Amino acid sequence: MKTTLIKTVSKIALVLIPAITLSMTASAHDPKLHAKKAEKLDCSKMDHSKMDMKDPVAIAMMKKCTKQAKKLKNKMDHSKMDKKMDHSKMKKIADKNIKKDEDKNH
Amino acid sequence: MKMFKLLLLLTALGVGTIATIIYSGIVDVAADEPHNEFVYWLLEETRKNSITKAAKNIEVPNLDDPELLLMGGTDYEFMCASCHLKPGQGKSDMSVGLYPAPPNLAVANDNHEGHEHGDDTQAARNNFWVIKHGIKASGMPAWGKTHDDQRIWAMVAFIKRLPTLTPDQYQILTAVE
Repeated sequence: MKTTLIKTVSKIALVLIPAITLSMTASAHDPKLHAKKAEKLDCSKMDHSKMDMKDPVAIAMMKKCTKQAKKLKNKMDHSKMDKKMDHSKMKKIADKNIKKDEDKNH
Repeated sequence: MKMFKLLLLLTALGVGTIATIIYSGIVDVAADEPHNEFVYWLLEETRKNSITKAAKNIEVPNLDDPELLLMGGTDYEFMCASCHLKPGQGKSDMSVGLYPAPPNLAVANDNHEGHEHGDDTQAARNNFWVIKHGIKASGMPAWGKTHDDQRIWAMVAFIKRLPTLTPDQYQILTAVE
């Protein structure tokens, strides 16, 4: 009985030890490194003082960042915002939240 | 007659040697085991001369158009940067694992180890040809099968300016809007 148990344990160990070792090697390399994400345009680092405006690189950067700025400006159209924004509902939601907080405090 | 016999013997010997090399499996094709110096030189010279000859009549357009930099930048980031790196990056899984190692295009041509590029025009011709047609058994794909010439020239234009870019400039030129 004891010998059978020892044999079974050693067989399991024989399979498990290499499997665990291999899986540890595989996870040592972070899979996140392979995930290719599209980087978002960040124009905040553009240093205008160092830019030569005749240089194609500078012109290209300015074009791209100007385009982005225009897009952002269009998105922040306050006249349109005012029409759609329903402040009365907002107040109700805010009131509800306050009430919830009060209930929690009780 | 004696000369013919000798020639025949030498041919048979040559064919036999080549067949032995092919079928015995003694050639190590592992990418983590570099070629010996002679084989490396042989392959490099063949590659270099083949590209120069094939690309010599390609007409190079004006590569200073800012629009080309913008178009080429985005493509470079998605298609090339994982192997050919970007400013501020020393290595990647691909640049370390591939053999022959892909050149680091974020450093100036003069700093590329093991090969020369010639003048700017010839370098542009060579880059266009390589991007369009790829290189056999090197990991370099033929992007011409899926990208038109204009997009390839845009990548050439971007690669020309790449060694002069800072990481911040690279980010702006390559990021998706």
